Amino acid sequence: MDGVPPEGEGGREWSFESSLIRPYSLTGGRVRPSRTDFSMTSQVVAVPRTRPVRVDPELELILSLCVRPVSVAEVASRAGFPLGVARVLLADLLDQGYVVVHTSGWESHRPDAQTLRSVLEGIRRL
Amino acid sequence: MDPEGAGPVPDTLKIVVAGGFGAGKTTLVSAVSEVESLHTEEVMTSESVGVDDLEGVEGKATTTVALDFGRITLDQTTVVYLFGTPGQRRFSFMWEELAQGALGAVVLADTRRLADSFDAIDFFESRGVPFVVAVNCFDGQRTHRAEDVRVALDVEERVPLLLCDARDRESVKEVLVELVTLVLRLELSGA
Ligand SMILES: Nc1nc2c(ncn2[C@@H]2O[C@H](COP(=O)(O)OP(=O)(O)OP(=O)(O)O)[C@@H](O)[C@H]2O)c(=O)[nH]1
Ligand SMILES: [Mg+2]
Repeated sequence: MDGVPPEGEGGREWSFESSLIRPYSLTGGRVRPSRTDFSMTSQVVAVPRTRPVRVDPELELILSLCVRPVSVAEVASRAGFPLGVARVLLADLLDQGYVVVHTSGWESHRPDAQTLRSVLEGIRRL
Repeated sequence: MDPEGAGPVPDTLKIVVAGGFGAGKTTLVSAVSEVESLHTEEVMTSESVGVDDLEGVEGKATTTVALDFGRITLDQTTVVYLFGTPGQRRFSFMWEELAQGALGAVVLADTRRLADSFDAIDFFESRGVPFVVAVNCFDGQRTHRAEDVRVALDVEERVPLLLCDARDRESVKEVLVELVTLVLRLELSGA
């Protein structure tokens, strides 16, 4: 569960190009996740104590990245996968109950005035 | 949702930063992000509209769009993400998704190449995404008058336009304050 890209299996190289293309073969060529619950800023969290016994290194890597709530974009970035690939893999993990996902209500409606005011304050305080 | 032991899950707000090549998007995001600006990419094949299969993606014409983003944790319950995206129309497949659910957008204009901002301005206007235009003054001096830039860009009065220095945290904060103030104004006016 160390957060490094898988390597060593038959000396597989983790070149930039293969890291971009190969994950798509991992997803069976799928570019759309089985579910569409994931926006880029959806927060995903691994469900404690459900860590699978045997799991693909890529899925293991993703699970290790979302021990705490983290955005889908960050998972992709830290795992080194294109966004679409991270989404497909996350959807698999979601289907199997290994992660839960939370999408902010603010993605479907504008935050209320009070929230916006506190956002303003927060930014000024930075 | 509060998965045991994982702590509260914050709500997120998304702000899009669009601008031409070298307009200062990455610089602006880094100036306020609490993490070193992060990077991811999305791959699009030439035929992917309606195509669900990337088997043999190597052989197809693909466009890779680089996205960089930063995070600002305002408090335990609120996290703001800033996404930088190229401002050229051929990357607009990414804008659709970025605009979806976005609080608003910053169009970062480069005084040396103002025309690079037209596509992004048109896009956010047509999608009804609240946006401000931030003019990155590369020469360091604010020799450009905001009003001249407004005329050159043909931006309506109701769209806030301000000069900024993308390297300067305070300046970038000002841009974000301007944007959120605009959104608040829209909310209060029921628009
Ligand atoms: N003088 C000056 N230089 C700036 C300013 N903002 C950015 N730069 C520099 O301009 C260059 C391009 O800035 P970036 O932030 O990489 O621009 P970008 O829009 O992310 O560029 P691409 O991602 O390549 O499209 C960098 O070398 C920055 O250091 C500014 O306000 N003033
Ligand atoms: Mg950049």
